[in-house]
Amino acid sequence: GVFAHLEMLEARASAAAVKQEETELQEEKLARLKARVQELRLQRDELRAKVDLQQNRQLGKEGAVSDLAQPSARAVLEWKIKSVKAMLQIFYLTGISGKLTKRGVCFCISTAYEGAYLDSYHLDLCTKPEVQILRHSIPTFIPLERIAKKYLQTDIRRFLSVLSDHLNAYVGRRYQAEQLQEHFSDQIEGTLQRNSLCNLLVFNYNVSSKSKTFPFNVRLLYGDLCCSLPTEVIVSSTPNAPASLAETAAAHSEVFRRVALHKAFHSFRGAERSVA
Amino acid sequence: MDNSICRAYEDEIQSLEEEIKLLTEKYEDNQQESTFFSEEEILMSIKSLQTEFQGESEAHESPSDLKAQLESLETDLSFLMKFTGICFTSHSKKTMEKTRNRTVQKHRLSGNCHSLSFQLEFQLLEVQSKENVSAVVTDLSIIMESGEDSDVSKFVSSTEEHGNLLTFFRSLSSYAEWYEHRRCTFLHFK
Repeated sequence: GVFAHLEMLEARASAAAVKQEETELQEEKLARLKARVQELRLQRDELRAKVDLQQNRQLGKEGAVSDLAQPSARAVLEWKIKSVKAMLQIFYLTGISGKLTKRGVCFCISTAYEGAYLDSYHLDLCTKPEVQILRHSIPTFIPLERIAKKYLQTDIRRFLSVLSDHLNAYVGRRYQAEQLQEHFSDQIEGTLQRNSLCNLLVFNYNVSSKSKTFPFNVRLLYGDLCCSLPTEVIVSSTPNAPASLAETAAAHSEVFRRVALHKAFHSFRGAERSVA
Repeated sequence: MDNSICRAYEDEIQSLEEEIKLLTEKYEDNQQESTFFSEEEILMSIKSLQTEFQGESEAHESPSDLKAQLESLETDLSFLMKFTGICFTSHSKKTMEKTRNRTVQKHRLSGNCHSLSFQLEFQLLEVQSKENVSAVVTDLSIIMESGEDSDVSKFVSSTEEHGNLLTFFRSLSSYAEWYEHRRCTFLHFK
């Protein structure tokens, strides 16, 4: 009847109102976004012009106006602060950096393999009444206590230097193994076995001879913990391998003794290519 | 239809905000890297700030905060130089490339370790990944005062070839200490 009809009209009007509100909200949102985009575009364009002007001024190009404004005292100090911070960051590249703390010093030992900087380790030391290690992030397989017992009280520089040697060598060995797995996985058979200190490495790799491949087994022992080259190398082929491979095994053994692991494989690949 | 326009605007906003951030950093880096103030100018600025804003507190760092911050940083720096024996006399850098996760800077560094002086130039590439920042040194060039010494020049060229900046500093430190010790010993016997 009438009521049903009225109800229907009411429902329809209400739905229309809701839709109307939704549309208005949507339009408002769009308008806001559009305004924001325009604001940001303007800001970006101004910045681009500022940077171009700055570069022109520095290159002494035509149309550049020299900066006659005197920098404020605050700006000068802020420049100096940034400049000192930059120099402190450079110390990171030297291998030993740190900052003074209330109780002593917090040292940071950085490690690197050739140009690639790898992990860094921290040592929080208190210096009075005697030198003590409060906290550190040295891995447990590095003989920290032994090194500390020998040098910490008498010669902190030496202590840090020896610790740095151990850490850099460990990181160097680990890096070589990782590089090997990353770049020469096609030649490696199975998985590379190593201990946490990365001073014992055992793996199998394929050597091709006369279009047949033979597995070699390598056992590398790094007896000097401060060195990233092995002290003991055993390369062995399988019993059914041809006799000529014994020579190859001996040659490879020599290379592993003198050259970093991933570089050794790089040279094998090169040699194979030149023979083929 | 409207939703896609909204999303297009939102994407543009995000990319503009990023571009603005990079441009601001580029401008500030450029300002920093092309300016130089002498120690006198620094001291004058410290004095001038203290008298200008006596007692006034500002929205950003107060002048005494800046002075304290500078002093703390300089104390750390002079401690490191004294401790390691590596003394930097000048450092300049130029940002060659900067994107969201990649920065390439060219550094020029000179200094000495005990009595041995050096001049370095290198390029530093920093890449930001999810967990950390990785740094790689390339194009390393080293000039050492005692470059005529054949041991030193062999060491320098091998270091340059592999970009072994870390090894350079660590070896320099121990060599300089030994060299200094030897020099003092000779002087003692003169």
